[in-house]
Amino acid sequence: QLDHGCALHTAARGCLSSVSTQDVPAERPRAIFHTNESDPAKHTEHHEGRLYNIPLEEVKAVFPHGLPHRFQQQIQTFNEARVMVRKPALELLAYLKGSNFAHPAVRYVLYGERGTGKTMTLCHVVHYCSRQGWLVLHIPDAHLWVKNCKELLQSSYNKDRLDQPLQASVWLKNFKISNERFLREIKTQKKYTWGKQETTEEGRPLGEVVDQGLARVRSASDAMGVVLREIKQQSHRSSFRLLVAVDGVNALWGRTTLRKKDKSPVSPEELTLVHNLRKMVTNDWRGGAIVTTLSQTGSLFKPSSAYTPQELLGKEGFDALDPFVPIPVSNYSPREFESCYGYYLERKWLQHEKAHTEDGKAELQFLSGSNPQQLDRLAGPL
Amino acid sequence: MAAPSAAGLSRRLRAWLPRMMPVRWSRYDPSYLEPEVNKELYQKPSEKLAEEEMEQMELKAVRPIKAAPPTLSSSVFSDPMISKFTNMMMKNGNKVLARSLMSQTLEAIKRKQLEKYHKAPENEKETIECNPYIIFHQALKNCQPIIGVSNITKGGKTYQVPVPLTDNRKRFLAMKWLITECRENKHRRTMMPEKLSQELLQAFNNEGPIIKKKHVLHKMAEANRAYAHFRWW
Repeated sequence: QLDHGCALHTAARGCLSSVSTQDVPAERPRAIFHTNESDPAKHTEHHEGRLYNIPLEEVKAVFPHGLPHRFQQQIQTFNEARVMVRKPALELLAYLKGSNFAHPAVRYVLYGERGTGKTMTLCHVVHYCSRQGWLVLHIPDAHLWVKNCKELLQSSYNKDRLDQPLQASVWLKNFKISNERFLREIKTQKKYTWGKQETTEEGRPLGEVVDQGLARVRSASDAMGVVLREIKQQSHRSSFRLLVAVDGVNALWGRTTLRKKDKSPVSPEELTLVHNLRKMVTNDWRGGAIVTTLSQTGSLFKPSSAYTPQELLGKEGFDALDPFVPIPVSNYSPREFESCYGYYLERKWLQHEKAHTEDGKAELQFLSGSNPQQLDRLAGPL
Repeated sequence: MAAPSAAGLSRRLRAWLPRMMPVRWSRYDPSYLEPEVNKELYQKPSEKLAEEEMEQMELKAVRPIKAAPPTLSSSVFSDPMISKFTNMMMKNGNKVLARSLMSQTLEAIKRKQLEKYHKAPENEKETIECNPYIIFHQALKNCQPIIGVSNITKGGKTYQVPVPLTDNRKRFLAMKWLITECRENKHRRTMMPEKLSQELLQAFNNEGPIIKKKHVLHKMAEANRAYAHFRWW
């Protein structure tokens, strides 16, 4: 594990200092908006506005799910994964580095307008935690659990609740890929019975529970509930730290578009997945942190201009998440915009001959309003 | 709408004829000027302007100006060919959808070419064209027929007579073939941008069904050379 304390990274290249590029490989000098520091633990304010590279094998291991779709396409086109280091991420990393893990888990909520980079900030934090060796519980989009669900089974564990086997099995598969070694180390503390014949004894590795959920899709939701429960109970005394990263946490409180067989609407607490996740997001456990994102884009029955925690979570959600640390995520600063524009030019993404001129750059900045998502969409056809 | 000539400008208001309101033609008075979108013209200092341009600038102070149509854009990225193509792709006036399909097509072309570019060895990298606009323009140019056929009836029989085509007609035919090909000969589940990008790349390399159609038209014109004298224009 890396111990940072207050060590400043001396090889940071700022545009103010004329430090020569010592740790640049000898192939070619990278431009001013790149940084070679691929360990998020060493990112400081010097690296703000710069793009760091995540090796592709690490991307496959750490992010089997969770990266936005357009970013995945970008990774495939450019053959590399470059993430910008921004202020909200640096702030969050500083809080995580300085947090006391003997205290109950602190909840951080990333909020902001549409397309400002909340999900990418979350992915940056997830990368940091997985590099540090934490156990990462990453739910890519909680809205997928409250809408468009084809199969709803009545839960065998609790008659009132409804299971979602497909969503649970997909999540379990991705969880297995990202947290292989923990599934071998963590042992169950209770005996669990699945259906009539299968049981999991006490003291078996958690990987068996996950395999059971994947093999018997009907009990996948219950398997997921068991996994969450075990991890939560063991987090405070075990050797690992736990990060609960939920994207679109406002889906857990609100309404769903699902209906039961008799066409009556389903409320979120009647779903096992949502019920178990709500228990994870409470701050009654120690030894980790909870980082969440609010998202209006996938939300249900919320106006499109809503972005603050009060509007998106509603009274119920706000009371459940209170107290939390809100972290606003805003549009690109001029420096970040320059860096993004320079990256697109360098990767030959901006092909239009006018896009290389000052006029073109000013027009892009004006049309996108320095919003990361709009800039990405505008630069696509250009 | 063509700008009214100097002789027309010297005329006063068009004579008002009772019960004859022009419906399809321009409703503007001849004194109205066209809007000028070119930014460079306004940024040039007055010494560098030529005589006609000086006159135009002085006129602008006194004459009213027509309303700018929605297709007229001062953006540096606007391209008249792309706008025309987008308008031809539009259905039921849904310009938003047509424009988004066009931008997705350009992005798809760019992605395919960039992937090829990054995988290619060093010496071949210059030959791969990544600019979707250059590919689009070249593909359209490759699809334009040189000579067309028109039906002329003589003595009760209709002949396919080879006929020269104007530039506008050539451009129109190329765009029309491209769009009909992409709408009809594709699988139900393929999206328009994907199919369009495929056809454009094929046309850029002088292969594909649209180039074949152009060759068929040329052959037809060549075969009916004997009837060329039937044309009277």
